[in-house]
Amino acid sequence: MSMHWYVARRVAWAVIATYLILSITFGLLAVAPGDGQTAFAFKAATQGGDVDEAQETFDEITGRDEPLLTRYKNYMVNMATLNWGWSFTRNQPVLDAIAQAYPYSLMYAVPATLISIIAGYAIGLYSATHQYTLTDYFGTFTAFFGISIPNFWFGIMLILVFAVDLGWLPSYYQTGRGVWTVANAKQLILPIIVLSTGAIAGNMRYSRAEALEYVHADFVKTARAKGADDWRVLVRHIFRPALVPLMTILVADILGLLFAGAYITEVVFQIPGLGLLSYKAIIQQDTALVMATTLIPVFIAIIGNLVQDIAYTVLDPRISYGDR
Amino acid sequence: MTDPLLSIRDLHVQFNTDEGTVRAVDGVSFDVARGETVCVVGESGSGKTVACESITKLIPMPPGEIAGGEILFDGEDLTETSEKRLEDIRGGRIAHVFQNPQSALNPVYPVGAQIVEAIRLHRDVSKEAARDRAIDLLDRVGIPEATARIDDYPHEFSGGMKQRVVIAMALAADPDLLIADEPTTALDVTIQAQILRLLRDLQDEFGMSIVFVTHDLGVVAEIADRVVVMYSGKVMETGPVYDVFEQPSHPYTKALLGCLPGQGKSMEPIGGTLPDPKNPPAGCRFHPRCPHATADCRTGDHPEPLDVGTDHEAACVYYGPGYDASVIQSDAVSESTATDGGSEGGTPADASESGGDDR
Repeated sequence: MSMHWYVARRVAWAVIATYLILSITFGLLAVAPGDGQTAFAFKAATQGGDVDEAQETFDEITGRDEPLLTRYKNYMVNMATLNWGWSFTRNQPVLDAIAQAYPYSLMYAVPATLISIIAGYAIGLYSATHQYTLTDYFGTFTAFFGISIPNFWFGIMLILVFAVDLGWLPSYYQTGRGVWTVANAKQLILPIIVLSTGAIAGNMRYSRAEALEYVHADFVKTARAKGADDWRVLVRHIFRPALVPLMTILVADILGLLFAGAYITEVVFQIPGLGLLSYKAIIQQDTALVMATTLIPVFIAIIGNLVQDIAYTVLDPRISYGDR
Repeated sequence: MTDPLLSIRDLHVQFNTDEGTVRAVDGVSFDVARGETVCVVGESGSGKTVACESITKLIPMPPGEIAGGEILFDGEDLTETSEKRLEDIRGGRIAHVFQNPQSALNPVYPVGAQIVEAIRLHRDVSKEAARDRAIDLLDRVGIPEATARIDDYPHEFSGGMKQRVVIAMALAADPDLLIADEPTTALDVTIQAQILRLLRDLQDEFGMSIVFVTHDLGVVAEIADRVVVMYSGKVMETGPVYDVFEQPSHPYTKALLGCLPGQGKSMEPIGGTLPDPKNPPAGCRFHPRCPHATADCRTGDHPEPLDVGTDHEAACVYYGPGYDASVIQSDAVSESTATDGGSEGGTPADASESGGDDR
């Protein structure tokens, strides 16, 4: 069976999975009470309007008075045409709110992800090839530290030390500064550190464990016996086979960039990115916005699985794509 | 035996572990002449693999350490050589074939790419030229339709075919010495015989020396010119294959041959086990299991190798002054009378049948 057929079938499955998830979401929303109606009515009441009228208006706007099947059809069409609803807390379409928040998340997530992949893999491979040496113990200890430490606590500690005590860096994020300015870079340093420590540690531990599978493999000895130098052995004969399982994490990391909602980091540092947007939407019961910010990671997970499945077959010749 | 290609002199290799120092190779000496096949024989744990992997420093260091001795390869002491120079020698002049072909090839690259890598590490040739040579090599080691199979992955080959690929890779840069560490142990007997024949043919064609590590005396009889018998990190006996089989001089060699089936008498296992390599016995390493051990065997150092024939040495006190070697030999005499008629002077041939069963 050809690879094209395999990819086509995986894509078809991804589409079916997406459809099922959207349908289930619709079902949950249909039976859930409120749907922002209460909040909308409350808002109307506080502004001196009529509560019943407000509720009816709300039903009309959102189409709640239509029959279920029509609503289902409209919902699906809206989803497909990227008409994802209105955020009443922000008085703008949901996708506009997301588009505005997105750059702020990318500003710290891109550097943090790159740093965590490069540093994590480098330390992991070094540890694996120098197993049980002092540097390996140091690396492993640092990784445990990075994984164990809670991000919110670490973030607050960094703010206390570097912003409050030393005064070197700002304690929270301020918008309105140009993206490529020093001031903006300075206020991104702490979030990047907080976000990358845990991720470096994770990448380091995975890559160390995977590389260790191959450090003592016979084919690595064969490669050395051929006269390959240490660097070549590490990259071509240890890292390349280890990349097959590491791909899972790598794809997740890179796709995580697309929806870089690091809730806690954004809340602690008050970065108006997707995490903070989603957090506020939940607190304020802005259903449309909550749904959008949760559906996006779901879609990314589906795409991620698809990319992983395809990446495996490209990276590992032993995986057959015949019978799946 | 003037100017040997490889001359190992009093080699000591140890592993420094948490539980103590393991002296895996403890004063081993032997020579390999040009174009010669030397078999290193011994039980598992006798240090034969460590000795051979120390030649090009393939053992993991640390914990491994070459604690003493010389490895003279074409006049150059490899224990003193830089890592950079060793990388040229590995694969370029000294090639290895390992025991398990199932795991000796990298699963994520086609076999051709792995042979091309070996060629281009040592020869300044274009990718196309290296690929042509890889096809030639695959063809030479008996891979049918080499042109079509060069882009196949290792998992698409059988065990015997994989070992042929590994051998082709070892020959990539036309080495002077091929170190084959139990290359047939993981294969079934008919494939074993094919691989042995292939190695012999290739040796005739390429004129290289072979160090062949094995515990299978049948294989030794099949392929060896000379034999090095190792036990517990020491050399017990060295000599031409015919002499060692015909007139085993060390009690250990005799006991080892006694374990072979098909000699016209019942097999005789060696009692006891290998000594603890962290804490070997004083005196002769073999004395706790030796039927002829005397007080001298139990104290002091391991006995020096002593001449027992032309180019034939045994490290046993019975060949020294004040001892009557016939005490051990008499055993051999009674044995050869017992097998008389059936296999007079044919021990190696017998052994070859038991292990090879070729064609």
